[in-house]
Amino acid sequence: MKTLLSNLCPGSICLSLVLLLAGCGDRMVDGLSAPGYPKRGQVFIDDFESDLVYAAFGGSDVKAFQVDYTTTYNASKASMRYEVPDANSPQGAYAGGAYFSKTGRDLSGFNALTFYIKATQSATIDVIGFGNDFGASSFQVAMNALPVNTNWKKVIIPIPDPAKLSGEKGLFYYSTGPINEKGYTFWVDEVQFEHVPDLGMCVGVIYNGEDRKVPTTEKGASIRIEGLQAIAGLPNGTTQVIGASPSYFMFESSDSSVATVSRQGIVQVLDSGNATITARLGSTAARGSLELSAKGTALLPTSAAPAPTLDRGNVISLYSNAYTNVPVDTWNTRWQYSTTESAFIKVDNDDVIRYFNLNFVGVEFSSSPINATPMTHFHIDVWTPDPTPSPKNIKIMLVDFGANSVYGGGDDVSHEITVSAPTLQSNKWVSLDIPLASFTGLTTRAHLAQLVLSGTVSNLFVDNVYLYKTQTGPSAPAPTPTFPPGDVISIFSDAYQNVSGTNFSPNWGQSTVVTQPSISGNATLLYTGLNYQGIQLGASQNVSSYGFLHLDYYSANASALQVFVISPGPVESAYSLPVPTGSGWKSVDIPLSAFSPVALTNVIQLKFVGNGNVYLDNILFRK
Amino acid sequence: MRRPLRTVCYSLVAMALFLLGCEQQPIQSLPQRTWSLSWSDEFDGGAGSSPDTSKWTFDIGTGVNGWGNSELEYYTNRPSNVQLSGDGHLVITARRESYAGSGFTSARLKTQGLFSQKYGRFEAKIKTPSGPGIWPAFWLLGDNIREVSWPQCGEIDIMEQRGQQPALTHGSVHGPGYSGANAVTKPYALMQGRFDAEFHVYAIEWGADYIDFYVDNYLYQRIQPGDLSGNWVFNQPFFIILNVAVGGNYVGYPTTATPFPQSMIVDYVRVYTQS
Repeated sequence: MKTLLSNLCPGSICLSLVLLLAGCGDRMVDGLSAPGYPKRGQVFIDDFESDLVYAAFGGSDVKAFQVDYTTTYNASKASMRYEVPDANSPQGAYAGGAYFSKTGRDLSGFNALTFYIKATQSATIDVIGFGNDFGASSFQVAMNALPVNTNWKKVIIPIPDPAKLSGEKGLFYYSTGPINEKGYTFWVDEVQFEHVPDLGMCVGVIYNGEDRKVPTTEKGASIRIEGLQAIAGLPNGTTQVIGASPSYFMFESSDSSVATVSRQGIVQVLDSGNATITARLGSTAARGSLELSAKGTALLPTSAAPAPTLDRGNVISLYSNAYTNVPVDTWNTRWQYSTTESAFIKVDNDDVIRYFNLNFVGVEFSSSPINATPMTHFHIDVWTPDPTPSPKNIKIMLVDFGANSVYGGGDDVSHEITVSAPTLQSNKWVSLDIPLASFTGLTTRAHLAQLVLSGTVSNLFVDNVYLYKTQTGPSAPAPTPTFPPGDVISIFSDAYQNVSGTNFSPNWGQSTVVTQPSISGNATLLYTGLNYQGIQLGASQNVSSYGFLHLDYYSANASALQVFVISPGPVESAYSLPVPTGSGWKSVDIPLSAFSPVALTNVIQLKFVGNGNVYLDNILFRK
Repeated sequence: MRRPLRTVCYSLVAMALFLLGCEQQPIQSLPQRTWSLSWSDEFDGGAGSSPDTSKWTFDIGTGVNGWGNSELEYYTNRPSNVQLSGDGHLVITARRESYAGSGFTSARLKTQGLFSQKYGRFEAKIKTPSGPGIWPAFWLLGDNIREVSWPQCGEIDIMEQRGQQPALTHGSVHGPGYSGANAVTKPYALMQGRFDAEFHVYAIEWGADYIDFYVDNYLYQRIQPGDLSGNWVFNQPFFIILNVAVGGNYVGYPTTATPFPQSMIVDYVRVYTQS
């Protein structure tokens, strides 16, 4: 658009111009030479800018990003390549990281971050933006769900208020996961801050542009302003919505004796009365507001919930300051008939979700369903000021959207757990660790998409919502065998009459520790620190008319496991079992012919050789 | 407003651009003309009220073949499509809504039968809407359209914009032998910013043998009889039209990414005669 006069008149009589160029040197201001930060916009054109550092996000595939010299935009020298891993990749579950300037940049003369992007397939980049400096990230901007395809396209991410970016370090960041559990590759090139002349001004938005009302809150309460966005008109006439951090905004309270707002967008209710919270972005009023009506004094937890201590590698966290949380679409879906109001508050500097007027509330993360298959427990910390004598209760429901990952379609499953006294208590943080096996109706948990909280306690504070796995053993009992009893000689199973008098821990000089823990009421054989371990049958067994040795086994950490069948002599033969087993039980049916030359008419012992901790169940011969 | 599918450039007045300092603001030597106001609407009126019926009438419906351009909107005179803002502005709003068989509604005002003038300065201060498929315009048609029909009546487009190019505006004339795709037209671009961000003054100064096109009093096009491939039909009174079209041959069609509703806000329309 800036070459209009010269370009639009090819071959015709154009106006004659007399150009008088006056001096355009740097402006000198006497006595004022504040050093300032470099006003460079380039982030990655054909190479890293000299001040640039890359760091991968925790839990991501740290090698996802590489410089690419082959696939580049407009045949330039190099681009940035991102290899998004497959789901459950051992290298990391997603690709994500940030590029930041060691020194900082003065970006106030630009109005957008722009770059070109393409991918090996049509995909949606979860988030891409700038302002993440691995520190306070005060001026973070997020473009969510960016569609990409196999063609290069230019992306423009507007700066909500360029004046704020006079010393910015966070120049570019991204984070995205596999599509339908499959990885893919995308490229980004020509990343720079620039002044796009025909980009519209940003308009600020709070509460997604709604005028939100909180009918009743209390003196002492604090409410975090949500739904902070900026909207700008792109040069093609469409609009772009981006997420913007609170520091871009200037918040105002209509009555600062009732409520004040911090620069971080936290509303503090100081006294009873009414107040309306509004915001400005730059010089213009933001859309949306919060109208609150306060009275009395809130009953709040006096201390933070107990800090989680589990290793983060074993946790999928939805809400906790202790972990990096997975994306949650909303902590209050405001479904029809839900009266629940919610607020993000701080207790003892710890982030806590406050629900009041709770009848039921949906928490939805269907945009990024959680594969909780490897997880064993659901954890949540709850606090209520309300009296909790039975039958007062809270209910926790987990919903899996099934293989189609969307609501409905006939493959959704769910289960609700009810918690009441004595577990539930008043004025006390109650930590609930619920085995996922207890959610019996939740027959699959590969696409968890909703958590629903309900019950008869109307004030509930919630923290540390996460799923985790214990390393101690399988989360559920081994599958119950269904062979007809007449076809089975059972050695160790709850499903059949076992051969009596069998010694499961004969002293053969082994160091293995043998126990029989119960998993959901089902007796299981556990070899801890296995080197080898025998089983002395209560009587010799003729299994020559039987076809298979069946057993269920589980081991998270064994690297070798063999099972032996033994007849007198001793004559023994080994069969190797693949370990570790990963997330669940493995069932095997080993043809007895595999144990040749053992005398199948006279089997007296079994033996396991290997290492690690091994769970066994349903050891039996069958036809 | 009939579609020019091809850009045709014509010679302009010789002008001198002085790029001064770092602001690079061009300064033009413009012809000195003295104007006296002959007609205006400042759009002072109560919020939500309709425009002054002594000055404006409406085109209603979809015309023939979408007003000759395959436009998608149904024009109404409902306040939701056209009203005064209460603070001195006329607001024409294009909406995405199902109405009388059309997928969009909007409004088109004209002074036909109420006011027309030959020669002079026609200007309006307008903040235009944007978005793919949005087509705002401030334009004139020859008063004799009912006798001689279009394009013999002549058409002067003081401002028309394609919403997918919010930094560009166009000035055009149509007449016999140079209408539609062969109109005489020229775009003008903002170096910084866009037309939907703030008000701009769009004007023509029109005499017996010239039409000068201005944006914010910057002359960007002069059209004279010798520039035309047909007769000069601009020696008779013309009336004024303000509208926001949705879709059509000139602009293309709206997409799901087109923001709706979209409003054209007019601060004033003023017409002068040269004294």
